[in-house]
Amino acid sequence: MNQDHSNDIIELASNLRWKVGENYHDRLTEGIYTDAAAITRDVEVRDGKAHFTFDRKLDQILTSKTFGFPIMVLILSIILWITIQGANYPSGMLATLLLENIYPFLKGVASSIGMPWWLDGFLIDGVYLALGWVIAVMLPPMAIFFPMFTLLEDFGYLPRVAFNMDNMFRKTGAHGKQALTMSMGWGCNAAGVVATRIIDSPRERLIAIITNNFSLCNGRWPTQILIATIFIGALVPPAFSGLMSTVSVIGIAMLGIAFMFLTSWLLSKTMLKGEVSTFALELPPYRPPRFWQTIYTSLIDRTLIVLWRAMVFAAPAGAVIWLSSNITVGDMTIANWMIEWMDEFGVFIGLNGVILLAYIVAIPANEIVLPTILMLTVANLNLIGVGAGDGVMFELDSEMETEAILRQGGWTLLTGINLMLFSLLHNPCSTTIYTIYKETKSWKWTAVASILPVIMGFVVCFLVAQIYRIVVG
Amino acid sequence: MRNFTTISQIITSETDQAFWSLVIFLLVVLLAYFMMRLKVWRVIMTGQLRSHRAQIEDILKQLYHVEAGGKSVGIIDLSGALRISDKKMLNLIEEMVNMDLIQTRDEKIVLTEMGRDYALRIIRVHRLWEKYLSEKTGISKLEWHDRAEQKEHQLTREQTESLYEELGRPRFDPHGDPIPTAQGQVIEVKSVPLTGLRKGAVARIKHIEDEPEVVYKQIIAKKLHIGSQLKVIESDDRHVKFYSEGEEYTLPSIVACNISVLELSEEEIFEDSKVRLSSLDEGEKARILGISSECRGAARRRLMDLGFIKGTEIETEFNGPNKNPKAYKLRNTLIALRNDQADLILIEKEAI
Amino acid sequence: MSKVVSDACETCPLYNSAELKKLGVNVDNADFVVALAGNPNTGKSTVFNALTGLRQHTGNWPGKTVTRAEGGYNYHGKHVKLIDLPGTYSLLSTSTDEEVARNFILFGRPDVTVIAVDASRLERNLNLALQVLEITDKAVLCLNLMDEAKRHHVAIDARALSRRLGIPVVPASARNGEGIPELLETIHKVATGEIKCTPHRIKISSKQINQAIEDLNKKLLAKYPGLPNTRWIAMRLLDGDQHILDAIKNDEFQLAS
Repeated sequence: MNQDHSNDIIELASNLRWKVGENYHDRLTEGIYTDAAAITRDVEVRDGKAHFTFDRKLDQILTSKTFGFPIMVLILSIILWITIQGANYPSGMLATLLLENIYPFLKGVASSIGMPWWLDGFLIDGVYLALGWVIAVMLPPMAIFFPMFTLLEDFGYLPRVAFNMDNMFRKTGAHGKQALTMSMGWGCNAAGVVATRIIDSPRERLIAIITNNFSLCNGRWPTQILIATIFIGALVPPAFSGLMSTVSVIGIAMLGIAFMFLTSWLLSKTMLKGEVSTFALELPPYRPPRFWQTIYTSLIDRTLIVLWRAMVFAAPAGAVIWLSSNITVGDMTIANWMIEWMDEFGVFIGLNGVILLAYIVAIPANEIVLPTILMLTVANLNLIGVGAGDGVMFELDSEMETEAILRQGGWTLLTGINLMLFSLLHNPCSTTIYTIYKETKSWKWTAVASILPVIMGFVVCFLVAQIYRIVVG
Repeated sequence: MRNFTTISQIITSETDQAFWSLVIFLLVVLLAYFMMRLKVWRVIMTGQLRSHRAQIEDILKQLYHVEAGGKSVGIIDLSGALRISDKKMLNLIEEMVNMDLIQTRDEKIVLTEMGRDYALRIIRVHRLWEKYLSEKTGISKLEWHDRAEQKEHQLTREQTESLYEELGRPRFDPHGDPIPTAQGQVIEVKSVPLTGLRKGAVARIKHIEDEPEVVYKQIIAKKLHIGSQLKVIESDDRHVKFYSEGEEYTLPSIVACNISVLELSEEEIFEDSKVRLSSLDEGEKARILGISSECRGAARRRLMDLGFIKGTEIETEFNGPNKNPKAYKLRNTLIALRNDQADLILIEKEAI
Repeated sequence: MSKVVSDACETCPLYNSAELKKLGVNVDNADFVVALAGNPNTGKSTVFNALTGLRQHTGNWPGKTVTRAEGGYNYHGKHVKLIDLPGTYSLLSTSTDEEVARNFILFGRPDVTVIAVDASRLERNLNLALQVLEITDKAVLCLNLMDEAKRHHVAIDARALSRRLGIPVVPASARNGEGIPELLETIHKVATGEIKCTPHRIKISSKQINQAIEDLNKKLLAKYPGLPNTRWIAMRLLDGDQHILDAIKNDEFQLAS
């Protein structure tokens, strides 16, 4: 009985729908807006002269051909500079506290209560160290970067940046707002992926999510800087080595932008061409931001949430790293087996087995890639007197010592260059992968976003390696 | 004997190994590129070449179009048009006669009633699918036809009907062609080719033929839209010159005859003042007359939600650094639109 | 029209708890469920924070809250659950956020829906408000950003607006906490039925469309007597809204008795 009713209704609806024709939706929307306009006319009094004049003047400057871009670049540079400079001290302090004070203390406690070596190693050398590293490297830059970004957002400047940049992004099939999610990615890719919510067009949002990984995130900057100093800086006289390494790191970041555009273009021409695109960009009025509340909420909302996710992933990774270096199968540890197994391929594309393994086990956070590489190199070579023991990540205070270990591990200029490239072009960290899944709710796009950059990384490293070998001989 | 080296010796050197791997890599990339260009993938993925059934259906469709144009064809014309070998065509024709889909009448081939119904069903699926692509996906209009050519052989009757319901029982495809009903009825469209209009005639674009692709691409590049009004300024054997939505266009006759128009009567006065939003300069004001019918699906609904509604006052607030996108003010809000979107919004400028 | 419901059970909560659970909202201990709708960038999240005392991040961005945020507060001894819906320009299109907002109001049947609008851009915001009023007849309009409107020399006659819309209108400036006590009080009064709303209905100029909506509405009313938003359902059916079609097929509009 009920079912009949339902079918009746649906049948009638279908018939009527055919009768009213295809512009029904237009008429309906027009009707609503006409009503809205009529009501507004009756209740609103506008003193037409003065409103929004300040906004317009500001817009004329911020979106002008002459000043628009310089202002944008200036603001972004200042933010990045403050972040990198400002994060040094708290990062150092946190590292001292967590890795140099609390870590030995915990080890002391463990041995005094007679904890078995494997539990102590698993928990403290594995889980605790990974957590400590992630917090020390990740927290300070994010705590500085995000609030500053959020202040600009609350003021209303960011939509203007999107407006200025849209022309470039349009040509690659992307949305101007991607300029912002990309910048956010320089802070943290996971946060950048969350930020793509501001893009309301389905196709452009997917592009922004998939390409966010090409923004060199804050966990990767230290690796870039260290390797550039050791391998690239050494190419020129000592007086210029600082400049040379800075230029090369900026070059890598620029290369990231180039890859972002290239990938956006490729995706919009191939896999994503069927997705619906509805471009619209509202430019909201400028509003004075509420300083303290903004800082508070951006710390809570962005920084801590992302940090929490990173910690959740880093803890088990620390455990895996420790276990792989301490469980022996046959006559070698699991780690050594895997290094040996991947080494040939690694060397072929100008990397090595240690680097590949480090990127596999350190997937939760880019911050722990370099300590893992050092630990694995030392363990693999069985060097005595350096490092902190099997499965214990470490970093060295002096670049020369680091260089010595890496050179002993067979590293050349090519390995250095390719590590920098691979650090830019590899799968996103697992925090970001998880975030991508949460945002897209699609395994397919998560897989594309995770695998595509690795393939690109392999191809680029391969090309560079072969050309290097031909040229250098 | 010093110069005599074996291949394996060449490759042992690291430099040479690098060189050869590069060569192999480049070859693979080139191969992949050409396979893409030549649409080899599509052939592989859609099950080699056209299936037997698809060929029969294509023949039926071709016959229908020919008959609708008041002409008739023989076997040779058919095999030429459909790129099927003469020998294969003979077999197919014989089979189709046995299936009672066609009859042969003095060298000519004609459709039976059953064949005509069958052909209309295929056309129905084709046009419905083009409608679907235009409404629900972001696929470029240049690809609609090819994709529908594939799909028309794949959908079952039930799938077709549920697609028809989902799309709200549409009557026309995005090119302006009528979609045959499930009972095989086709709405008559009284349109003439653009070349058939006299100088000074006013008409509305009803249909843009999507075949051949080369010509269609030219028309699309000119940004002409279905539903637009036009006024013929000059027309001779070689060219048609006309005015539409604030722009002047000149098309070679061979291209212009692929545009079908409906001549408008005196009452439907030509709005000379109707121009595109993209032509509105900084600081100028205008009233919105509507959104072009070329803007469809989600994109159209989004524009309407943002308030791009007939009668709305709009002003170009500032051009931005590249004049694309531009910021428009309507209903006290600044909205940035790209120029290709602004092309689809029709306005009437306010006299200053 | 909502009389049928209150007659059926004077003390039961009005909201549809089974449906809300399905939508992922925990309504245990909640006396009232209140939804917060509004255009993007109208300070909707600021209103949410002001009402609940929570501190969700609110950006000067169109479209910040994509997933729903929840909070709660106590007022006059009643526990109120507040749901912040995603900001949308409309409920007629088919984007994900619009569907989330629409489904919540339609199937969740909140006791009150608060519509946050930007006072300096009333006309644009009313587009959404009028659509919400077609779905629910228990609503409060929060005229937010009054300070900004003043700065831009825009004045609004809130009482006249209230008369035209048929629902209470509360001017507020949530950033500074102005108007929030009044808003709390008004929500309470609408929830308890102290204020009865007679919401404005959308007028459409085309006779043919009106006739079609009427025909369909009659049929829907016959099947679902007492449902306050049959007219809106009719409008959506004519637009071929797949979700609503499915809901009709599965008989989801039957009021819990």
